[in-house]
Parts: sequence; structure tokens; C-alpha cells
Amino acid sequence: MIKLLFFGRLGDFAEGVTPNIEARADLTPAKIRDQLAADHPALFAELSQPQVLISLNQMIVGWEQPVFDGAELAFLPPVTGG
Amino acid sequence: MKPSIRIQTEDFDLGAEYQLLRQLDAAVGAIVTFTGLVRDLEKDSSINSLTLQHYPGMTESLLQEIVDQAAARWDLIGLTVIHRVGKLLPSDQIVFVGVASQHRADAFEAAQFVMDYLKTKATFWKKVEQDGQQHWVESKDSDQAASQRWANDD
Repeated sequence: MIKLLFFGRLGDFAEGVTPNIEARADLTPAKIRDQLAADHPALFAELSQPQVLISLNQMIVGWEQPVFDGAELAFLPPVTGG
Repeated sequence: MKPSIRIQTEDFDLGAEYQLLRQLDAAVGAIVTFTGLVRDLEKDSSINSLTLQHYPGMTESLLQEIVDQAAARWDLIGLTVIHRVGKLLPSDQIVFVGVASQHRADAFEAAQFVMDYLKTKATFWKKVEQDGQQHWVESKDSDQAASQRWANDD
């Protein structure tokens, strides 16, 4: 299984998204995002914004990074702390 | 260098944090502290509350990276970063950065660096409540510019 996390405003758009998805061969963050497009078009549009970063097991990675079983994939909008 | 990184819901005591830095080492000759507070206004209208979300685990790692970079760049004796999460009200304290060093330039610059990087890199998100409506705060270009100038100095 792969655990999906959506932070900040992305969390509002991700209501109803299954938080765990099945692992399969050749999975990437980009493919996971594309998989969400059909059922969650508003979320897909938000995730496609260029400012959105992704982390895999809490490390910032690119959209084509391989995603393996047991991973934690988080979608991060621009941060606003401090 | 003695770092202390804390993410907590409870408030912090500026005086107590200052004393901890002061007592680290007799070589401490300068302490700079910064405290960030919840403003009562967001985009010119008053807020009821501010809620801070973060990414547990990742936030601590990112703050550690920022502290490590500051320690590599300036001659520091102690560096404390405290960031609160959860629901806060206007005038509440949000964030504390305290830097102890032998000489003031290191403490001033490192404190500003840590805040500038924290604002653009650490995984915190603010949500405000205004007139009963909640919305997420947008990131500011001015914060990106403030962070960028440290990269340009390299």
C-alpha cells in the first residue's frame, strides 16, 4: 500500500480520496496524480499547479521518482508558517 | 553548537528561553531573539483565530536542516527554534528563534536567516477564520525574495 497525504488547502480538495492506494509496477507521483483526475477533477487541477511540491517518505522529490510499496507520498502546497 | 528544536501546542516563555541560551556557555557574548505573533488583521480584515497545521516528522527534519545550515555558516554557540501548532488567537506567540554567539553579527544574521528559511521551507500551513469563514493563507512573494537573498550570497 501507498499512503497519500494532502496538506494545507489541498486537504480541502482531497475530501473523499482513498488515503491508501495499491502499489504496482512503475508507479510515480505523476501517475498517482493522473489517477485522481477522473474522480477528483478539482483536486487534480490543484495538484497540477507548479508551486505544489511532493515528498516521498518525507524527502522532497520530483514527479517522476519511482514510488514503491509502503511509501508515504505527501502533496505540499506553498508553506505559510512563521 | 547546542541546537534546540521544538514544535508544540503550548505557549513559550521568552525570558526562560533567553536564560537557557545565556547559561549555555560563558563565551556567549551576544543573544538575538525573534518572536512572531498572530496579527489581528489578514488582508485588512480582522481575524477570529489562526490554526497552524504541520507535517509531523518532516517539519522537524527540515528545521534541523535549516539549523545545520546556520551553524555551518556562522559561528554560533546555541540556536533555539520553537514553533507552535494548533489554534491560536490574535496576539498569541507563534514562533521563537533565539541565537547565542560570541559576537553580535553572527547572532543577528543567523536569526534572520533561520526565520527567512523557516517561512519558505518548513512544512507549516496557516488557516485563518474571518467572519466565521475559514480559509488557507496564501504564500507571499516577499517571503520568497527574503529567502532567496541568502542563496545569492553564497
